[in-house]
Amino acid sequence: MSSDRTKKTKPADHPGTLIAESIKALGSGFATTAKHLLRRPVTEQYPEQKRVLPERSRARIVLTRDPDGRERCVACYLCSAVCPVSCISMQSTGGEGGRRVAAWFRINFSRCIYCGLCEEACPTSAIQLTPDFENCRQDILEMVFEKDDLLVDHGGRDDRYCFYRHAGIATDTAGKGEHVNEQPPVDAKSNLP
Amino acid sequence: MIKLIIDNLRVEVPPGTRVIDAAEQAGIMIPRFCYHPALGAVGACRVCAVQVLEGSCRGIRMSCMIEAEEGMVISTTDEEAVAFRRQVIEWLMANHPHDCPVCDEGGQCLLQDMTVSGGHGRRRLPVKKRTHIDQHLGPLVVHEMNRCIQCYRCVRFYREYAGYTDLGVMGSAGRVYFGRRSDGVLESPFAGNLIDVCPTGVFTDRPSRFKGRYWDFERTPSVCIHCSLGCRVTVNTRYREVVRVEAAHDPQVNGWFICDRGRYGFPYASSPQRPRSARIDGRKSGVDEALDEAARRLSGIAQRHGSGSVALAASGRVCLETLGALTRFGSEKGWRGPFFRAGPRTAEALQSASKNLEEKISISLKDIEKSDFILLVGCDPVNEAPMLALSVRQARRRGAVVALADARSVQLPLDARRLALRPSQLTAALMRFAGKAVADGGAALSDRARGFLQACRDSRVDPAVDEQIDHLGLAARESRRPVVVCGTSAVAPDTPAAAANVARLLAAEGRKAGFFPVLPGANALALGLAGRTADHGAALREALEKGDVRALVVVETNLSELGFSADDPLLENLEALVVCDCLDSAAGRAARVFIPTQTVFEAGGTFVSAEARVREARPAFRGGTPVAQVSGGGHPPRTFSPDIPGADPLPAWQVLAALAREGTRVSADTLRKALPAPLCGAAPGKRLALPASAPDAFQPPEDPATAADGGLEVVVCEHIFGSEPLSRRAACLQELESAPRLGLHPGDAAALQLSAGQRVAVDCGRGVIEGEIEIVNEMARGVLLVPRLRGIDWHAAADGPLVVAVADIRSVKPNGES
Repeated sequence: MSSDRTKKTKPADHPGTLIAESIKALGSGFATTAKHLLRRPVTEQYPEQKRVLPERSRARIVLTRDPDGRERCVACYLCSAVCPVSCISMQSTGGEGGRRVAAWFRINFSRCIYCGLCEEACPTSAIQLTPDFENCRQDILEMVFEKDDLLVDHGGRDDRYCFYRHAGIATDTAGKGEHVNEQPPVDAKSNLP
Repeated sequence: MIKLIIDNLRVEVPPGTRVIDAAEQAGIMIPRFCYHPALGAVGACRVCAVQVLEGSCRGIRMSCMIEAEEGMVISTTDEEAVAFRRQVIEWLMANHPHDCPVCDEGGQCLLQDMTVSGGHGRRRLPVKKRTHIDQHLGPLVVHEMNRCIQCYRCVRFYREYAGYTDLGVMGSAGRVYFGRRSDGVLESPFAGNLIDVCPTGVFTDRPSRFKGRYWDFERTPSVCIHCSLGCRVTVNTRYREVVRVEAAHDPQVNGWFICDRGRYGFPYASSPQRPRSARIDGRKSGVDEALDEAARRLSGIAQRHGSGSVALAASGRVCLETLGALTRFGSEKGWRGPFFRAGPRTAEALQSASKNLEEKISISLKDIEKSDFILLVGCDPVNEAPMLALSVRQARRRGAVVALADARSVQLPLDARRLALRPSQLTAALMRFAGKAVADGGAALSDRARGFLQACRDSRVDPAVDEQIDHLGLAARESRRPVVVCGTSAVAPDTPAAAANVARLLAAEGRKAGFFPVLPGANALALGLAGRTADHGAALREALEKGDVRALVVVETNLSELGFSADDPLLENLEALVVCDCLDSAAGRAARVFIPTQTVFEAGGTFVSAEARVREARPAFRGGTPVAQVSGGGHPPRTFSPDIPGADPLPAWQVLAALAREGTRVSADTLRKALPAPLCGAAPGKRLALPASAPDAFQPPEDPATAADGGLEVVVCEHIFGSEPLSRRAACLQELESAPRLGLHPGDAAALQLSAGQRVAVDCGRGVIEGEIEIVNEMARGVLLVPRLRGIDWHAAADGPLVVAVADIRSVKPNGES
């Protein structure tokens, strides 16, 4: 504004200035229209056209499976603890082969803000966000997904990881001393070096 | 007081305080794994390192191993100390498995907290992890040895503090292993504390395994109601279900620990069998309708037969508010009772124990730990009041003499001098002991006390044991803090009064003597103070037989405690049997009107412990059927309604108010105020204002020696698991119950020509007790031990030590024929 004051120009409300500016604006507007008439359109015709979203875009949450097809979720409650809107609830229980599993697992997608903190907290790569954002329902109760709705039959991004091959607890996947980076169990009753 | 500086803060502590405790007093929590206030310091984990800048030992020191000195300057934030602690955590984590997500300790794990706060995130060690094979340690505790950081807290608690030896440490160097010689159930009834003391997840809770995380639980301060000690506990609830009970710290009562009965006794509250709806004549109904119907029937009977034809029955399980309602509405309406205990003997024993508790001789569990001579009379601490056994053990560890006079072969986690005496001999034995324990003629004593002392000196028990008692009395002469602990179920009716008098006599001599009663039920002291001696089960039976009582209101009481069997014909003759209970019982099923009541977890309540401490349990949740039961194990229902399913039960005091047609909106405070002094002034957290001296202090018993010849005294023995009516419903504790067998001394068994395993039937007058014989070596002669366990009709002998003639004992074949 200071430059306006120093420059010697015609006053803004001078009739000549107004007419010149109007013609200039009209001209530039039509020029823009004319330019776009000849260009290829950038608008994508959703839902007829669907863009392939980046792999890491965050939308509908799934529960993935181990390489051997078993549920990955160990119901450790870290996702429900970290969830800022408290949309995840679950009940852990003992599963087959000494595993810890979710008796039920529920995500209320009407509350979810797709922040991805649950995925970051998950120690077993079970909970993952997928690019599938088309997750709307007429009835709000249908937005509450149970474990069966969330489970998918693949390992998602980290598809070769199996928590029970690394955790030290004995399950039907690996016994004591059989996990990655473990020595065989020691004999506590021996005093030999 | 010693003045020192920790992290630029001036701290003043008494001499002998460890630096780690001094820092805690100033609000600085130095990391620790092996140090525990109850277990002491061993300096095993090296994580409490601090920098001593000024003092006799400068440099990096373990703060649990050094005592505060005058002028000491300590820094916990010193760079070297921080680096040291960080390094220690990394070492401790070297072999720790990668299993926090599936470990129940996660969220309340000291190791997890320290690892995160130490900033250790990635394992840098290139070698493979050492692993261990776990053991099966029974239904209560899960063992996962890989997680161990060798802090030795478990064995220090289990062997040194609690005194059991089946868990220990094996191996050497990197193979150090904490466990049993081989798989098997942990023998200690305090094993659950391993879960609390373990700073990581080596020992975790089996019943609540995989049930949830610490941060999801609603944690409520409460009180354990499974015996008369009133230990403080923390109740963890989630989804309308009690998940876990943990010990809460109370320096005066339970310290840091609780017993397994208190820890695992809660499942009755969320049992699928728990009655949650009212019933009228066997048909389900709404609670309001049932209350209305019951009140109508009771008032009808009172009109037709007089108000005295309605009787109330209660037990030590009712809280102070309910007891207040029983007293207030009972007297307003002219109803009889509350009737409590089985008969005159047990009622008198309870009342003489309650009414003799006076200010000067009443002591806490903590005082027992500090005493130097403990005489246990007719009480079995581990089975009747488990935490008492731990307190007695702490006294023994400090060198106290512990003596035990009992008919049973009492098992204690310590060495005690034993006197095997029949219940009828206990009073005389106590008095003879006191006669020897008081050194001179008692110049400082009052006339009454001198009279009692003379009666003590004249007391005789049996030439065979008199000498042992005299030795014991002489051993007690030098003690400065003698304590007499007296039970109420395996004693003669006048024994508790004699025990209190002995404590009074020792106190009158100028010593810090104490009397500690062991009572039946969490609120038994209040019941003993508020109830009338004449209102006992035998009197109720008599009134029922005569037809004086036509209606009976049973409030949170098992009728077996009043000496009735489940199918007693007298109960069938009643015009109205109204049962208000949170348990599914035979009486409840037989009731004309049944009204469900809330448990202590839902209603809360105030209880007065055996040491006259007023304990408050706060409501932990609002009640209702657990979500897991409503949903059948799957996900919670997807329909929503404003009411909680299964939330019909009411607090018992509200039920009583409704039965008296006073409406359920009665305040708990006014009900407590309806009780007689000193109960009306009960303030939670404080001790009851006990009388300065009991009216019948130093009253010698009328006839101290009434030994029966030729017969056997029947003693009903409590067991830690299986006897107490609430905890016996816990499936995990049922696995630990002993086999129900009738105990006999080898001499008596030989005289009766009975052998171990033989089945006998004992006619107790009111009923027949049948069971297998077990030969018990350390018990008294002339006694028959009847366990209060499922499978035995013990209620026939519920009224204290009654005498059966030898002719009443006959052997039967296993199928029941004579």
